[in-house]
Amino acid sequence: MADLQPLWLTLKLASVTTVCLLLIGVPIAAALATTRYRIKPFVEAVVSLPLVLPPSVLGFYLLLAFSPAQGLGKFLSDHFNIHLLFSFPGLVVGSVIYSLPFMVHPIQSGLEALPSSLREASATLGKTNMQTLFHVLLPNVKPALLTGIVLTFAHTLGEFGLVLMIGGNLPSVTRVASIAIYNEVEALNFHNAHVYAAILLIVSFIILLTVYSLNKRTTKHLRSPL
Amino acid sequence: MKKIYYRLLIAVLIMPLCATAQKVRVAVAANAQFVSEALATEFKRTTGITAEMIVGSSGKLTAQIEQGAPFDVFLSADTKYPQALYDKGLTTQKPKTYALGVLVLWTIKDIRPSLPILARSQVKKIAIANPELAPYGQAAMECLKVNRISGLLKDKLVIGESIAQVNQYLLTGAVEAAFTARSVVMDPELKDKGNWTVIDPRTYHPMRQGVVILKTAANAESAQKFYDFLFSDAAKKIFEQYGYR
Repeated sequence: MADLQPLWLTLKLASVTTVCLLLIGVPIAAALATTRYRIKPFVEAVVSLPLVLPPSVLGFYLLLAFSPAQGLGKFLSDHFNIHLLFSFPGLVVGSVIYSLPFMVHPIQSGLEALPSSLREASATLGKTNMQTLFHVLLPNVKPALLTGIVLTFAHTLGEFGLVLMIGGNLPSVTRVASIAIYNEVEALNFHNAHVYAAILLIVSFIILLTVYSLNKRTTKHLRSPL
Repeated sequence: MKKIYYRLLIAVLIMPLCATAQKVRVAVAANAQFVSEALATEFKRTTGITAEMIVGSSGKLTAQIEQGAPFDVFLSADTKYPQALYDKGLTTQKPKTYALGVLVLWTIKDIRPSLPILARSQVKKIAIANPELAPYGQAAMECLKVNRISGLLKDKLVIGESIAQVNQYLLTGAVEAAFTARSVVMDPELKDKGNWTVIDPRTYHPMRQGVVILKTAANAESAQKFYDFLFSDAAKKIFEQYGYR
């Protein structure tokens, strides 16, 4: 019987990553939606990089960045005793970068589609930018928020190359389901690989089906998840 | 003018066909990737045939061969995997030992390699190849068990998918110590990277590295030539240079 630990680990990674990205992604999306600075395309390009870069590129850079032998990794290790390589927190940091566009894009397009009169009305009534964002704008883009959350979660479920490079394949620490499948196939245990693969396939499909159903019912401007 | 275009087009289309005539595809266990480059250079010099190397863990390559990967020759890190392929009727003959593998403990520059030092605090992580898929990982586990330190070091172990990833972890400083092959640390380019010590060969099963020619070899003639070359005096010298027994 296949060990279910990798599946739990995958769910845990996806959940933690989604919460972190909600905290990081909303401010970035709000800033991008409202900014008029010339730097905007540059920031948008950086945020979107994980969509086109092979995960191995990110994995390679993170392996070097987190290594306790030099730079950032050395600093974290020496001063805070933090070791991101071969650890769950390290996978979370990697996943946050890897899934960033999946949180930012839907929220940003949701906010950009709102009529500017909403923000102006709120401002004339004496609300600060923060209050406007949290009490006026975000409640009006709930479907976009939900899309961002669900897509981030789903995308993190499918992570492989990055984890392969910085995870170290440790049971119940960094051996997520995608890595477990790879292991089982290499060890020729196709039965176990089938169990993991089928569960991931079904979960991913249900998640995407939910997103598309919601999009259809609620907003017109969010034709596709991205 | 048009004629030239057509001729060029035909030439371009035929090119890959010409290329396949004089090459051999060799699947190589990760421990032998550096020695196999040296072997390929010598082989090319004497026969003019290009040997293409595909590096991975012995287990992975075996799985790929079973699924019909287009390799001609398979250099494993042990005898078990090529024997399994022979038993399934996928090879022309039984595996033949081309080298004896030697396990070493490799550490970063400021640590002197020894088994006792692995338990100390300056060694935070130790990389070994996946014992289920890579013979060198299996040998490393055996060595730790024989020395009764496997339980003690359990939380420090990081599993690389093959010797290749284990080496990468040590060279990037991601780990302070790693169990790898002597053929890796004797590679001219890696000679001065860190320190290493040979692990007592009595603490693990000897790694008889076996080679087989695959029945499906597309380049059967080149494959046979490469196989024969492996057992020539010239190849023996190269294996010795890279620390094989």
